[in-house]
Amino acid sequence: MPDSLKTLVRSPQGVVGGGLCLLAIVLVVLGPWLAPFEPNALSFTARYQPPGPMHWFGTDQMGRDVLSRVMIGARDTIVMSLLATAIAMVLGAVIGTLSAYLGGWVDEAIMRTMDAIMAIPSLLFALLIVATLGKSDVNAVAAIAIAFTPGMVRVARSVALAVRTQDYVSAAIVRGESTSHIVVREMLPNIVAPVIVEGTVRVAFAVMLFATLSFLGLGAQPPSSEWGLMVSEARSHLFTAPWMMIMPGLCIALVAIGFNLLGDGLRDALNPRSRT
Amino acid sequence: MNAGYVGRRLLTTVYTLLVVSFLVFAMTQLLPADAAVTLLGNSATPEALASVRAQLGLDQPAWWQYWHWFSGVLSGDFGQSMRTGQAVAPMMFGALGRSLLLAFLALVLMLVIAIPLGIVSALRRGKAADLIIGIISYVGISLPEFVTATVLALLFADVLGWLPATGYVPLTEDVAGWLAHMILPTLTVSMILVAHVSRMVRSEMVDVMASDYIRAARLKGLSSRRVVLHHALRNAMLPTITIVALDVGYLLGGIIVVEEIFAIPGIGRALIVAVQSRDLPAIQAGVLIIAATYALANFLADLAYAWLDRRIQYA
Amino acid sequence: MNDALLRIDDYSLSYTTAHGSLPVLDGVTLSVAPGEVVGVVGESGSGKTSLAWAIMRYLAGNAIEHGGSIQLQGEELTTLKAARLRALRGGRLGMVFQDPSAALNPTLTLGSQMLEMLTRHRGVSRGEARRIAIETLGDVDLKNPESMLARYPHELSGGEKQRALIAGAFACRPACLIFDEPTTALDVINAAQVLELFGRLREETGVAALYISHDLALVSRIADHVCVLEKGRIVERAPGRKIFAAPDHPYTQSLVAAVPNPRRRLVAESEIAAHANARERPPLLTLRGISVDYGQRTTLARWLKRPDPRFRALNPFDLEIAHGEIVGVVGESGSGKSTLAKALTGLVNHRGEILLDGEAVSSTPRGRADYRRRVQLVFQHPDGSLNPRQRIGELIGRSYRLYGLPEGETLSQAVARSLEEVRLDPTLASRYPHELSGGQKQRVAIARAFAARPDVVICDEITAALDVSVQATVIALLLDLRRRHGTAYLFITHDINLIQQIAHRVAVMYRGDRVELSSAEELADGPKHAYTRALLAATPTIASSARVIDDEFSAPTMDQE
Repeated sequence: MPDSLKTLVRSPQGVVGGGLCLLAIVLVVLGPWLAPFEPNALSFTARYQPPGPMHWFGTDQMGRDVLSRVMIGARDTIVMSLLATAIAMVLGAVIGTLSAYLGGWVDEAIMRTMDAIMAIPSLLFALLIVATLGKSDVNAVAAIAIAFTPGMVRVARSVALAVRTQDYVSAAIVRGESTSHIVVREMLPNIVAPVIVEGTVRVAFAVMLFATLSFLGLGAQPPSSEWGLMVSEARSHLFTAPWMMIMPGLCIALVAIGFNLLGDGLRDALNPRSRT
Repeated sequence: MNAGYVGRRLLTTVYTLLVVSFLVFAMTQLLPADAAVTLLGNSATPEALASVRAQLGLDQPAWWQYWHWFSGVLSGDFGQSMRTGQAVAPMMFGALGRSLLLAFLALVLMLVIAIPLGIVSALRRGKAADLIIGIISYVGISLPEFVTATVLALLFADVLGWLPATGYVPLTEDVAGWLAHMILPTLTVSMILVAHVSRMVRSEMVDVMASDYIRAARLKGLSSRRVVLHHALRNAMLPTITIVALDVGYLLGGIIVVEEIFAIPGIGRALIVAVQSRDLPAIQAGVLIIAATYALANFLADLAYAWLDRRIQYA
Repeated sequence: MNDALLRIDDYSLSYTTAHGSLPVLDGVTLSVAPGEVVGVVGESGSGKTSLAWAIMRYLAGNAIEHGGSIQLQGEELTTLKAARLRALRGGRLGMVFQDPSAALNPTLTLGSQMLEMLTRHRGVSRGEARRIAIETLGDVDLKNPESMLARYPHELSGGEKQRALIAGAFACRPACLIFDEPTTALDVINAAQVLELFGRLREETGVAALYISHDLALVSRIADHVCVLEKGRIVERAPGRKIFAAPDHPYTQSLVAAVPNPRRRLVAESEIAAHANARERPPLLTLRGISVDYGQRTTLARWLKRPDPRFRALNPFDLEIAHGEIVGVVGESGSGKSTLAKALTGLVNHRGEILLDGEAVSSTPRGRADYRRRVQLVFQHPDGSLNPRQRIGELIGRSYRLYGLPEGETLSQAVARSLEEVRLDPTLASRYPHELSGGQKQRVAIARAFAARPDVVICDEITAALDVSVQATVIALLLDLRRRHGTAYLFITHDINLIQQIAHRVAVMYRGDRVELSSAEELADGPKHAYTRALLAATPTIASSARVIDDEFSAPTMDQE
């Protein structure tokens, strides 16, 4: 693991991605303390101000400071996306490993069903769940988690299948190890790394998907300053105050780029072929 | 291509559609909305509601309702819209036609841009061209459609004034007008796909170029041109077929957002309207049609793959 | 020699890595005269493959050349222009690779890959190229050359592919051919046929060749001169037939000593006599009618009248192993020898009965647990059998945790003793497997098996992935451990030379059948079965020269539906 970390830090992808992700985490943790203004403080004298020394990201139609709103909104967008991906990762790892372990027709049935769920585009799936359960950020998280699970199942299963045929698993069987030892101690440590890589890339998708749901009015609800919602609200003022829309849009893109880069960097760092 | 493979693949496609139909039905059953109340309004008498429920079969057990709905679907009857009272099928298939035109344009644009980008990137690996294409694709893959769409609209419709911001003109009425309205949505939808597919083509191409048989081909003294075009390209393109087919799912999802933003009366927009008004039969029909389109695309891609790559039949 | 065809002068090469510069070739000087075959022998890391790439001018991006020259027919290759080089490659200067499957593009027919070479280097039309290709393939005894041209690589067997590739290389009328371990990926009998073909084509065409291999016995059999490469330096150059007789350099001497010689027994005959009284006890391990079927037929498949996918990997197999006995199992790939190991260790289901000390194993759970401790397995690839995410101490400690610690020892003491027993530094306990060399890893696997205090250890090709000098030390270690603990071995291998050195009895397997079971003396006096004779004839040894191959057991072509 330390070797992989070194490789990661040496690659430009790893440095830029890790830096962006770190910045995002800082925003999530310290956002409310760092924000220069109260995010919901209205000011009729300071409406539609373009970015300047006072308001770096400008102000919106009610005179609220866009930078402060973006900093507070980081919590909604990033935490929700991380949460959704984490749930999908755990569900996917469990179902995928189980499916690979059971094999035979059970595996076939699980995988064909996962394929079937994947035939519904994740956005559509999320729409469907939100329509069923009602509009809220928690439901949006559930929707994204469920929509992402089949993909994670696929990854976990294919890794688990590859690990299962390894000689060290055979060696453990020959020694007479218990099933729980084989799964937990021999197999799992070798499955986790690729699943984490896939999960990291997925966070980027989750950020975009969550923002899209909020944009469509089906995720976070006003007065939240979730970034997708901010873009949606800014659309009617697009021509008078484009920064209202560009700033949160840029943030979504930067966070997504960060997780994409970090995921690819991790993939290279954890790939034994690239280390030789 | 052997019949067994086609049969097996067809079977899984049918299974996929069965599971999707079941999922869609089960989920819409969970909807808190009472179809009868939606139809008659809150002031309806209990007797009237009961009679409508009986008429719609809502008092029957769930499996009966599923079968009733599903057998209708098989004969092309998706039920009546609760919002407009009209048959869902013609409305949805009409919308699907408009969406497929958009999807087709986006797919063609994507292939025309993404494949050359990926190949250039792989062959110039580590050089400036590779780096620039890499950065562009990272940005492209990280911009959600609603951001791209808004920025494009701001630029081309407002600042430059070259193209209409929103709206739709039927192809049958005015080809030029249709095309003008289609340019921005097509660009938006294909942006993420271009980024994704070009990266995939690049990595496939890099793997192939590093393979032993390419090394062998070079050491046979063949020209670089022949090595790339004759030996490498076909092998790198094969996995790309599967990737593109899987991306059709993403494309269909992206179309939903883009149609909403650019006010195109396609199936995505119809679905959002249906979700917002909790129009059960319309939601069911929309999701099922989109999933079927996706499943069909993947089925065709797998057949194409099997036909092009003879090894698979023996695997 | 001024008339040399290929001439390498004081050539040095290194690779730039993250840990600095890694020298690969150091002042290499060698020459190949017209019509001569020069063998280059070296162990892994000796730089022998880098030498081939250097001659072909196909160097990795991080390779740095430090002077020296490479000349083909007087033409300097190191400064050659790309276009000129392309005309040379595959034409005057050809190459045959180790793995014939990897050298062929899987999506192009054999014909299109042969024709493009012929049209490029012979300057003939496609029709003419086709005629030459058909003639060439027929000339190397490939059946139906015309239909073969239309086939894809996966439709040919490994031996067929390699013969076609060699035929293609010769058909371009090269001045010099470079062979990089062309038979290593093939079975013994296939390899012998490929070598025979090489010998014949060389005689007919008079092409000079540089033959690179790790196998000293093989190279000395076919090469006029042998160069021994150690860590990038040529330490000895001698005529092929003399290098075994009188090696000069200490490295060559150690290499020659490490090559298994079937005539030199490593196990004293008297030992078997000492174990004769053990034979009166019930045998340690008795196998009665062990057979294995792979694949299963589902009801649906039967209903759809699909072809039955089941096949028998191992036909009923009987064997008794006495206490302290070494039984060898030898065969080519697909002979069922590894399936036997899997069946004995419970990795695949089998029919038949296993008895330990005369008692059926599967009767009680206690009996099964006892069997698992007393019968240990060591795998071919330590990279696979040692979990990459566990430390060496954990890996060996697992055996002690499962089967109990010896009295008066802590776990870390026991692990340290285990490591010392296989002659490894006890401080390695805190390392991960990837930090160890291949030989060290295999010792760890052996230590793990012996930590269980087994009565019999099944060794499944455990030296196949190792260099010959490392193999010799691992074999010495095994024999030493046996002397100390009286352990019996079931030693599975494809190397009939090696097995004749160490086994008391040898079982020969062919396509799932045990065709012969003889004592080592009987085998030395002359094998009973025709297949064993063919196998022995095909195997190059230190002493032997080329012999005729028994055609009856030539590798079959892959069956096509």
